[in-house]
Amino acid sequence: MQIRTKLKFDALVVGGGIAGGEAALNLANNGYKVAIIEKELSIGGKMILLSKVFPTLDCSACITTPKVSEISRHPGITIFTESDVENIEKRGEHNFIAFVKRRPRYVIAEDCTGCQLCEKACPVITKDQFQYNLVGRKAAFIPFSIASPKVAAIDMENCTLCGACEKACPSNCIDFTQEDRFYEIEASTAIIATGFKLYDPANLPRYGGGQYKNVLTSMQMERQLAPTRPFNTILRPGDGKVPDKIAYVLCAGSRDDSAGNPICSQICCMYSIKQAQLLMGALPMADITIYYIDIRAFGKGYDEFYEQAKGMGVKFIKGKIGRISELSNGNLSLRYEDIQSGRIKEAEHDLVVLSVGALANKETPLLFKGIRPDVDKQDFILQGDPILSPAKTTIDGIFVAGTASGPKDIPDSILSAGSAAAEALSYLTR
Amino acid sequence: MDKKLGVYICACGGNISDYVDIEKVREAVKDEDCVLLARTTMFACGDSNQKEMEKDIQENNLSGIVVASCSPKLHLTTFRSVSERAGLNKYNYVHANIREQASWAHSGNKQGATEKAIHLVKAAIAKARFAKSLEPTRIKSQKSVAIIGAGVAGIKASIALSNMGDNVYLIERENKIGGKLASLGKVFPGNITGEDMIARLNEEVKNEDRITLLTSTKIKECSGNIGDFRIRLQDNIETGEPAVSEREINVGSILVATGFESYTPSEGEYGYKEIDNVITLPEFRDLIKNGKEGKELVFKNRKIRDIAFIYCVGSRQIKGENKYCSRYCCSAAIQSSLDIKERFGDVQVYHFTKGVRTYGSQELKYAEASRSGDIFIQFPDKDEPVVSSEKGVTLIKAKDILSAKKEIEAAVDLVVLVTGMVPDSDKSVGSLLKLPRGRDNFFNEIHMKLRPVETVIDGITIAGTCQGPKGVMESVNSALSAAVKTHSFVSKGELELSPIVAYTDVKTCEWCGACSEACPYNAISKSEEDGKVVAIVNKTTCKGCGMCLPVCDSDSIELTSFTNNEIESMIEILAN
Repeated sequence: MQIRTKLKFDALVVGGGIAGGEAALNLANNGYKVAIIEKELSIGGKMILLSKVFPTLDCSACITTPKVSEISRHPGITIFTESDVENIEKRGEHNFIAFVKRRPRYVIAEDCTGCQLCEKACPVITKDQFQYNLVGRKAAFIPFSIASPKVAAIDMENCTLCGACEKACPSNCIDFTQEDRFYEIEASTAIIATGFKLYDPANLPRYGGGQYKNVLTSMQMERQLAPTRPFNTILRPGDGKVPDKIAYVLCAGSRDDSAGNPICSQICCMYSIKQAQLLMGALPMADITIYYIDIRAFGKGYDEFYEQAKGMGVKFIKGKIGRISELSNGNLSLRYEDIQSGRIKEAEHDLVVLSVGALANKETPLLFKGIRPDVDKQDFILQGDPILSPAKTTIDGIFVAGTASGPKDIPDSILSAGSAAAEALSYLTR
Repeated sequence: MDKKLGVYICACGGNISDYVDIEKVREAVKDEDCVLLARTTMFACGDSNQKEMEKDIQENNLSGIVVASCSPKLHLTTFRSVSERAGLNKYNYVHANIREQASWAHSGNKQGATEKAIHLVKAAIAKARFAKSLEPTRIKSQKSVAIIGAGVAGIKASIALSNMGDNVYLIERENKIGGKLASLGKVFPGNITGEDMIARLNEEVKNEDRITLLTSTKIKECSGNIGDFRIRLQDNIETGEPAVSEREINVGSILVATGFESYTPSEGEYGYKEIDNVITLPEFRDLIKNGKEGKELVFKNRKIRDIAFIYCVGSRQIKGENKYCSRYCCSAAIQSSLDIKERFGDVQVYHFTKGVRTYGSQELKYAEASRSGDIFIQFPDKDEPVVSSEKGVTLIKAKDILSAKKEIEAAVDLVVLVTGMVPDSDKSVGSLLKLPRGRDNFFNEIHMKLRPVETVIDGITIAGTCQGPKGVMESVNSALSAAVKTHSFVSKGELELSPIVAYTDVKTCEWCGACSEACPYNAISKSEEDGKVVAIVNKTTCKGCGMCLPVCDSDSIELTSFTNNEIESMIEILAN
């Protein structure tokens, strides 16, 4: 029989990215008990995997880790990593029930020291999802070096049960008998902070996304530029060559009805400009060209950052790429309309980065049983009172933080998380 | 000395170790006096290393730690918490910045960077030998908040704080609330007008017992510190008569929401004030508001059939001061265009843009305007359109990037200058509170990414457009974020203040007043101790800035945690 552990909190936060974490901190710092449910093995969401942030060029890991530490050590916050919300139900005002399943890590988290000896011993190599498949990892592994918690996990889908990790572990914390654990969590309010999905480049066959080896997504480039990067330099995956003529294709899966996403993703212009600046530092001899429709540098200090990139020598060409073809040497030929001259042109690059957009997590509303929060045309959580109470959903007592309600950059996600926390606090004291 | 020190040298995932040989640094410092252990680590701030440090401190009974990593601006609190969790008084931890000050600054000279890092770490060790345990100053915090500015940000923050149980003084210099909302038409994405919003907010403010609304009120003076600010208010500013009443309020935190002003074009900028049918976007909004629905739009007895919007007026300036993008104007102009077509029927609109920035789902409005027949022209950044008047016809000429830089000329009945946001021209609140401003002249936050509503002054938060241009929804998000931070300053009724403050040696002090004059926080006063007139520092208002130290002739002031002993021992190392 399934045993469900019953727990009670003031607030439930679904999603442990930067928005969910910030919302939880705001509530906990005001004395409330909060549970964070995170589906991945670590909290920190996408931000913890980024290279640097625009326009300050702060190292993202360096500013995320103290936040993540603060969240994970806060006495008022309980974190459930590798956990899925099976369903959330509103039973009345200030009365929400969430059924949560915590998947086994096959490692006794309390005893693991993160020594990585299991990782060394494991003979199985599979794709590393936290490096966006650029390199491999073992089946017994630490998600990434700044993961929180920094605890190993066994990837049972790829594990051969050879037992090498068990023998190598000095603290005897490998446990193949672990099973799913089930929880019934009662909370007085809930915050949805389930974030966004990156646009899948496989849906853009004209750009060769997922087919051409030297066409990367912006997130893969983000990893190559991060302090916890897979290689110690920038490489194109096709043949390991250091690229010297790099193209950025903006609006790859944004502002494009034919790609199924008519809206602007808000972040791609800026992260591309940032990556271009970082590449100028990493590969001083490389040419970097950004192909764009409009540059949307709208936030504080952003337009100045764009001007700075132009000053550094990043080339900006107004024109949307129509098609990319692969040449025999692995280089890529980009066909586009050069708006400034009104001509159709072709340009050759040895590495192409698709600046993929932000899409809604369509599963989010499905987490709810009974009444579900409404979504907008793009499947983002609909804001019930979008201008004067932007964090309200269509269900009283459930609030939305960060990119779950639409694309946002980090400061806007933080503000939206504060807003959700304020609404939740008001609801709790009502 | 009997101190037992632990030293941690961070690689920062390559940020440091790519340029500084951290193993060499460790070798160089491990045998320094008092150093019990010295370790290198991939990420000192990482969870696992923090745990390691705690273990080290407890197991070895360390009496101090030195962390050599990035700037203390990033991780001072992180490592203070590590110390506290391990039972070590947090002021026994000393930081050495070997990233910004060594690896990043000297990336072209690895040997030099390493040598400098060694010096910095040794200096930190020298300081740690003298470091003393300190206890925070505990003070009572008022459970009330002052909110300056009753625009949408100030009002929303007031309602939220009142809901959370705090007493709120909502201070507005005008005689009514709502700020710039009144001048807005329909706002994306809610399809609600600014006036409807004011009506709703007025009702909500009235229903909140904990909000004291003070309109026609200005701030005259502000003193005190987090938990205990004293603000002198002056009423009836508008009558011009001598102030009828003054009052003082006592609050635990201040939330600043003083908003923006619309940029005023200079005379002759795109023909403004010279050609009579050139107006700004706010003036145009007024025109739409006063026009009669269904009828034709009329301006100065002229029927309006063709309108040109010129974007980025006062924003993204090439020559002027305002380099920034005002972020709200593209979608505000497009919304205005859709509004007039809905209300007045057939009008042709030309948008002269610098590239349309309808981010997020505002893009759908841009598409709608394009479909409805609006014509978008993009002029080159450095080649702005020219507005002229010839024989009573207003002409606008521009090069259009979207049609291979063709010269475009349009004769229009009205030119609307899409003006951006500039900071409020009344700088009094900012200077009374000593709030720092950024290069764009808006108030500056502590950290642009992760702490956008807090300021360097404890207890003061900033919300809405006084921090930078924002749309209404974004202002509300920022207001509610500031509210929740402000609430955490006052909700517990008690606060801990930093014990890093100045103190005087009453034996040697011969009151001359120089320190008191130098103090930017009015924290030093003349006092009598044992029949002698001396300077005394108020440790709740002192911020530990150290301004008073160098002006003291008799060297009678010291700063805790930065005593002469500590600083001199560091200099000795660094100078060798």
